[in-house]
Amino acid sequence: MKVLVTVKEVGEADDDFEIEGTDIASSDLEYDLNEWDDYAIEAAVQLAEAGIAEEVVAVTIGPERAEETIRMALAKGADRAVRVWDDAFEGTFADVSSKVDVFEAVVDEEEPELVLSGVQAADTAFGATGVALAERIGFDHAAVVNDLDLDADAGVANVHRELEGGIEELTEVDLPAVLTVQTGLNEPRYASLRGIRQAQRKEIAATDLADLGLTPADVESTLTLTEMYEPESDSDAELIEGDAGEAAGRLAEVLREKGVGA
Amino acid sequence: MIDYFDLEASLSQEERLLVDSARSFVEGEIDDMGEHWIEGTFPTEIIPKMGEMGFYAPNLEGYGLPGVSETSYGLLMRELEACDSGLRSMASVQGALVMYPIHAFGSDEQKEEWLPALGEGEAVGCFGLTEPEHGSNPSAMETRAEKDGDEYVLNGSKTWITNSPIADVAVVWAKDHSEDDTPVRGFLVETDRDGVTTNKIDEKLSLRASITGEIALQDARIPEENRLPGVSGMKGPLSCLTQARYGIAWGAVGAAQDCFETAREYATDREQFGKPIGGFQLQQRKLAEMATQITLAQLLAHRLAELKEAGEMRPQHVSMAKRNNVRMARDQSRIAREMLGGNGITADYSPMRHMTNMETVYTYEGTHDIHTLILGEDLTGIQAYQ
Repeated sequence: MKVLVTVKEVGEADDDFEIEGTDIASSDLEYDLNEWDDYAIEAAVQLAEAGIAEEVVAVTIGPERAEETIRMALAKGADRAVRVWDDAFEGTFADVSSKVDVFEAVVDEEEPELVLSGVQAADTAFGATGVALAERIGFDHAAVVNDLDLDADAGVANVHRELEGGIEELTEVDLPAVLTVQTGLNEPRYASLRGIRQAQRKEIAATDLADLGLTPADVESTLTLTEMYEPESDSDAELIEGDAGEAAGRLAEVLREKGVGA
Repeated sequence: MIDYFDLEASLSQEERLLVDSARSFVEGEIDDMGEHWIEGTFPTEIIPKMGEMGFYAPNLEGYGLPGVSETSYGLLMRELEACDSGLRSMASVQGALVMYPIHAFGSDEQKEEWLPALGEGEAVGCFGLTEPEHGSNPSAMETRAEKDGDEYVLNGSKTWITNSPIADVAVVWAKDHSEDDTPVRGFLVETDRDGVTTNKIDEKLSLRASITGEIALQDARIPEENRLPGVSGMKGPLSCLTQARYGIAWGAVGAAQDCFETAREYATDREQFGKPIGGFQLQQRKLAEMATQITLAQLLAHRLAELKEAGEMRPQHVSMAKRNNVRMARDQSRIAREMLGGNGITADYSPMRHMTNMETVYTYEGTHDIHTLILGEDLTGIQAYQ
């Protein structure tokens, strides 16, 4: 089967950073592969090593700069990559539906049986692309997957989903499917020097909207960034002192003041 | 790490990926180098992991080796030594001193037998040149090999051998008394052979997170096909050392960069007299000097890589770079330690560990003084050490 992995290059701000307009100054950002996409790549490469996946294709929406990040995915074992970018994305803040428009077109072209996606992106943290894509392309899906056992013959993915409060759901998802991947699924490998060398010879297909049969209108975003600011940190922590009895009394007093138990 | 003149911008994408990956590996896999240093142990569990990463002789081609650029190889040594000189020494010895001579001078059978295993870190190698009575003048070595039927019989002792106690194979340099003029020859000696012992040297006060030992050869018999066929004379061991010293010239920059970052962070956090100590002129002068010296050493390393890539690097170039960069790291690690005050003498911070490591690096692979004389000879045409 073919596995498509959606990956994103995310910028992580330095400890000290400047805000320029509605963004963090690019000189204060360090770009890297989104952590959760790293787990998704690892899962796909493990499927390939187990002989289940015949091809692993990574796809990203990003400018030329993102090639280095996607090259890292190739160095870790993905076979080839598709990088979608278009002038229409310049200076805009893509919403979930415009990303899904792009990935839907890529899925139409690649016809994967399994799509793996990080549960969220470290920068915008929408956590929506994977499941919204599943809905659009009519695949089954499971979100927040932290354990995967794929039965290719039966066409079923047995997954564990991490739910709130330490609860796990064990469920089966019929293929073709989209799975969004949570921390804990695996331990991503480091790119070996051999992998890095081989990655130089792997294809990263630069693709624009017209190549995918889309127009700028298709990916128009309903979101705009209006402001970027650092929240003022308001710290008035009270350290409760005294023995257990005194401390408990003072804590009860504070909680009552705040309206607890009223 | 500090890169004041943005030399990273001159790297290829492949080289930048290598730096990223090596850095993640060191951060993720080396738990607490300070603890290893205190205990006098090497994290042996990472030997095969480094092999999986392709860290041994990555600049060589064939036998499953990655064949990266000379700059890449240098960058890797820098990243490893930023952690600890012991880590870089492991990779230097395995790659430049064991795999390189087998690759350059070995028979096809020797290459098939050893290069894949050493490259993957399934086997560990060591390099036996220095002897108890012959350090800076290795050509006076006493270790001898004598042909006996289809075997060689080896006798002698080697010392200051990184990894000898854990090695599977030693590249032993010995004078071949079965040949006219008793030329120096290289022999692959499996350490489990009769007559081979590899005692560990304890109580080192430097390079503690690295295993060092001796090789004693007492009528050790090896098959004649274990001799390296492709080289005769001192150029055998010396060409290996040129490879390893190239890595040291890069590695020393890493150690100094790590010291600098530690000192800068400390100076901007630590407050005395109501402001960070980095706000005082005395400390700023130290940082400015440290940054300048590191940058100069970095420039030298990058240019050395270009010369090596172009096939124009001479051993004397390597002598100058090793000599300068190690002295720089030795001096600047001490300044970094000083900036950390009393905290700087603990293993919680890296500078004093680097500082003591540099005492070894300053003296091994050609002492600082011998490299001075190599340069002196190159500049005047007159040899001062004969």
